[in-house]
Amino acid sequence: MFCTSSNPIRRYWMRDAVRLAVVSAILSNCVAYAQKLPIPQNLPNNLQIHGFASQSWLKSTDNNNVFGKSSSDSGSFDFRELGLNASMRPRPNLQLSAQMISRTAGKGSPGNIRLDYGFIDYTFLSEENSKIGIRLGRMKNPLGFYNDTRDVPFTRPSILLPQSIYFDRVRKVAIAADGVHLYGEYRFDHGVLSFQGGPVRPLVRGAEAEVALLGPGIAGHFAPDISYIGRISYELDEGRLRFAFSGTDLNIDYDPVSGDRLGPGSIRFTPLIFSAQYNAERWSFTSEYALRHFEYKNFNVASLNLDFFGESYYFQGAYRITPEWEAVARYDVLYTDSDDRSGKKWAAATGGDAHRRYAKDITVGLRWNVTPEFMLRAEYHRVNGTAWLSTLDNPNSGDLSPHWNLFSILGSYRF
Amino acid sequence: MSAGQIKIVTIKIRISHLVSSICLLLGLLFMASKTWAVEPYEIVTNSGVSEKNLSKSSLRAIFGMRLHTWPDGNPIHVFVLPDDAPLHIAFSKEKLNIFPYQLRAAWDRLVFSGTGQAPETVASLEEMLAKVGSTPGAIGYLTRSRMNGSVNVLHVK
Repeated sequence: MFCTSSNPIRRYWMRDAVRLAVVSAILSNCVAYAQKLPIPQNLPNNLQIHGFASQSWLKSTDNNNVFGKSSSDSGSFDFRELGLNASMRPRPNLQLSAQMISRTAGKGSPGNIRLDYGFIDYTFLSEENSKIGIRLGRMKNPLGFYNDTRDVPFTRPSILLPQSIYFDRVRKVAIAADGVHLYGEYRFDHGVLSFQGGPVRPLVRGAEAEVALLGPGIAGHFAPDISYIGRISYELDEGRLRFAFSGTDLNIDYDPVSGDRLGPGSIRFTPLIFSAQYNAERWSFTSEYALRHFEYKNFNVASLNLDFFGESYYFQGAYRITPEWEAVARYDVLYTDSDDRSGKKWAAATGGDAHRRYAKDITVGLRWNVTPEFMLRAEYHRVNGTAWLSTLDNPNSGDLSPHWNLFSILGSYRF
Repeated sequence: MSAGQIKIVTIKIRISHLVSSICLLLGLLFMASKTWAVEPYEIVTNSGVSEKNLSKSSLRAIFGMRLHTWPDGNPIHVFVLPDDAPLHIAFSKEKLNIFPYQLRAAWDRLVFSGTGQAPETVASLEEMLAKVGSTPGAIGYLTRSRMNGSVNVLHVK
């Protein structure tokens, strides 16, 4: 289907398939080598070490770039995810965990190694049917079903997560935060009710969030303000039916430089996410809905005194053909401003392109578990709208086409 | 398109119908699910574990890696066979009433968010017996023909 939509894809598909096959072959050789390594399982203090490595290739049509120059003739190999984590449980009620990640994904993620999470987890109450504990340090933000493990391809339903809710253009703010989480769970005969959350300092420093939230050419910088995050979930029959309600009250301050055209403004971002999933032996159905409230204050620029609601949702079905093969289909919708779904009001007010304010993405994909440790994936996106395309990878908004296609392949190894 | 397929498409498009369609899906599920022929098996613990009975919700919490101690406060060590082992599939479906892919997804969520750990995977029934028999606080599952005095049988209430 992608062949009929664009000639360059057809022309370069074979060459890139060969390149990917070579990368995969090298990767699987590493896998074979790694499996020969003695990974000891009886380490002191219940030490466990896990990790993953993945490489993707993306090819898009028109001039719409996803993670590097994916619209170029040869596509983009600029999407790589590497992670290594360690956890220790010296006592049953005490765990220490940390994960380092290097993520290369276009201009927004240059591949630097960073601390993804690192915290102490202490369970101070543990009964037959309930437990309550506390976590201190840098924790993943408990948002929706996928945010906690969003960089681990094996835990995602597709190569790209539904971009309406799991934006990759403002990910740092969403991905983790430093602070304190309380957590607890209560087990019934047929279900588990659990919660986690608390006060945190969001990770807002860096150009990615500044450009995404204020636009390019900003002189000053963001600073984190006290924020709150939390999720309540109910799982029936250990995950046959899963429901979650999560939200955050995220506060960011803007520190202007002297002579800045912007004042010392602040941004308050309060998304609420409703999630539901049904898991049968072969089928899984997932849907999430997000209502995202943005409030911009005191920037002393009329165009930045904003107060609007964004809206996102997706419906996704996955079918396990065999334990090795899984097919997925999804319809994913994003409205940057729910009062202006076509983007026309925004276009009239700013002179921008209306398609920057919405995106409707139809995705179909296939996953092949070659071994339990090695997975290959392919997927195709047919998108109407460009709202979730990164400004860093697409500096000239005028070049973008509202109707576009994306094809991607991923190979991923885990241990 | 058959009536069943139309029903499935409807669920996909309108999540509000999901709840009312669960009965139908469960029906399809039971028709589709294969029963693997495995030898009679039991849930086993290290012989030093004093528990002889456990509620199903506790058993799920233990194999879900969310319950870490026996009622006497001693740590629990969970051993499992690979995801595609017939005994693991039978145990997951019959004793825990969940599918192996759900267990794997739950363990992955714990491991890659730092909020928990994965169980230890053993390669064979011999290794399962050796590990459960020699590790204090261990729990696993074994076919009856493989069991010996180093392990106790645990019953689900």
